[in-house]
Amino acid sequence: MPCRSEADASGGRPLRDLLMPSIQRGSILIALLAICLILSLMTPNFLTVANLINVARQISLNGILAVGVTFVLLTGGVDLSLGSLVALTGVVAATFAHPGDYPVVVPIAMGILAGTACGFVNGTVVTWGKVAPFIATLGMMTIARGLALLVSGGRPVSNMSPELTRLGGELAGLPIPVLILLVVTLAAGFFLANTRMGRHVYAVGGNERAARSAGISVPRVKLFVYTLCGALAGLAGVVLAARITTGQPNAGLGYELDAIAAVVIGGTSLSGGVGGVGGTLLGALLIGVINNGLDLLNVSSYYQQIVKGMIIVGAVWLDQKTKA
Amino acid sequence: MVFSFWESDNVGWETSVRNGVRGLVVFLGLAMVGMGCGCNRADSEGSRGTESESGQPVIGVSLLNLSSEFIVMIDRSMREAAEELGVRLVINDAQRSAARQIQQAESFVAQGVDAIILNPCEVEASSPAVDRGLAAGIPVVNVNSETRSRPTAFVGSRDEESGRLAMEYIAERLGGEGGVVMIQGYMGQAAQIKREAGAREVLDQQPGLRLLADQTAEWDRAQAMSLMENWLQSHGDEIEAVFAQNDEMAMGALLAIERSGWKGQIVVVGVDAIADGLQAVQAGRLDATVFQDAAGQGRTAVETAVRILRGEPVEEEVFIPFRLVTQENVAQFLP
Repeated sequence: MPCRSEADASGGRPLRDLLMPSIQRGSILIALLAICLILSLMTPNFLTVANLINVARQISLNGILAVGVTFVLLTGGVDLSLGSLVALTGVVAATFAHPGDYPVVVPIAMGILAGTACGFVNGTVVTWGKVAPFIATLGMMTIARGLALLVSGGRPVSNMSPELTRLGGELAGLPIPVLILLVVTLAAGFFLANTRMGRHVYAVGGNERAARSAGISVPRVKLFVYTLCGALAGLAGVVLAARITTGQPNAGLGYELDAIAAVVIGGTSLSGGVGGVGGTLLGALLIGVINNGLDLLNVSSYYQQIVKGMIIVGAVWLDQKTKA
Repeated sequence: MVFSFWESDNVGWETSVRNGVRGLVVFLGLAMVGMGCGCNRADSEGSRGTESESGQPVIGVSLLNLSSEFIVMIDRSMREAAEELGVRLVINDAQRSAARQIQQAESFVAQGVDAIILNPCEVEASSPAVDRGLAAGIPVVNVNSETRSRPTAFVGSRDEESGRLAMEYIAERLGGEGGVVMIQGYMGQAAQIKREAGAREVLDQQPGLRLLADQTAEWDRAQAMSLMENWLQSHGDEIEAVFAQNDEMAMGALLAIERSGWKGQIVVVGVDAIADGLQAVQAGRLDATVFQDAAGQGRTAVETAVRILRGEPVEEEVFIPFRLVTQENVAQFLP
């Protein structure tokens, strides 16, 4: 793979470019707008302010996870433990969130901390242990699920303080999870564009050897991306727990695949080095719009799964075709 | 680099050996931590069973999935009943795998247990587990769900009844007229099929009830919440009642309804009577749930197995009835 311009450690690029690399700014956006247009023609309930806010709220979890896993995919890795981490961190947060026990920051911090710790372990196993990311995070997927069941005793942890569940509510008419997603995406975009570590993430994914020769500490970069991904999974876990007012040890099944799908639809390459969080946000939006639209149209469960799969593959196929 | 997540690097033979050793160290370390936890747990649980006096009858139990709250309740009531009746239980978790369940039945046969209680994973795929036990002359009691192979006895509930009770309650609340939505469980599972059948039976008898939409949320609270949010967009004014095939999904729908300000205009009914659901009924948030008696099923299964061992007559099918739970009678279901 040739050394890409993203790998250049010199000089930041405009934020806009990193949020949405020009290559896929077009096609995914067009696909998204086309689907929106079709949906608004098919049902009057799609293009309303209330429903659009609704869609934004529904993609917020997947969006937060997808931003985290964008970093990992950019380095050419993968993280399969996200869904289990969401369950574990949600249960941990809920355990500390019984009314009157601790101030509301404690459950939030504990949830994020648990995710960060698991992400750090992922990163350590991948870098120090040199275990392939697929295997390392597959292991964490099972371990974290087991821990979630252990911590909760196999049953949902309920009786959550209203201070924490408010996190799943609204602020000035906008759902708080959406605001969190926006902050996370902007911060991640800024970070990737304007910090040395951000550029190193691209460099490692673009060409690991070249990055190493250029004096970049590859293990440090990898450790960083897995830890960050874990931390964001922790944040998502806390938000989910707040939204559904319990910590569910069985929550989050398959979330990692939705997140990876959003990233890939958004134009980030599975082999690393190319992409950005802006595309990821569009990818998450595309999946969210499809889910919402199929529900609004009352499409049967069986067809929904088929249609979703076809649209995901189709979107990526279209994207590759326009690139070629 | 295309499949770079499979291999972390292109490295020479020596480095790969070194990496292999490193990986092994990490793996063994993790495995030991894992086993440490596992062993402690097994010790504390096993102490009740394995060290009891010999001569006690032994019953091998294979449970569907100990990470489900409902099955945990069955497990607990079985242990209590076994202690009272003076039998020893060997409890295995099949973790939703019918193949594992068959292996467990086979090792029960090899251990020479006196009876087997099976909480089947699947109607068809778990049938060989029943056959293995019966072929070895060991009585088999199925609990909670059925298999195609006929066991010595079955203890459980008729899932259709729960769907019927829930929908009848909705019909009564709406005066037999209005728009209803149904949130389905995991499509194709026995509970989903039967609860849907029970609900549709009532819908057929009540022409005034219109099913506006039905969709799966895979027994999951978060999915049900999103689904309900979407339905409120498309059918908001028409929806007068929601039937969710379990309480988790009913809670999700309820949260969506409460957060968007529709509460008070939509009747929400679930099934299972989980702790959260009962509290919500008591607080007047959830209108009703249907109580499936997990403890009764577990206890009766052990009692039935013991009676078979004592040579006493038993019913071939014992049905533990469902009961509708509303704010009026919720107190008797709360722990």
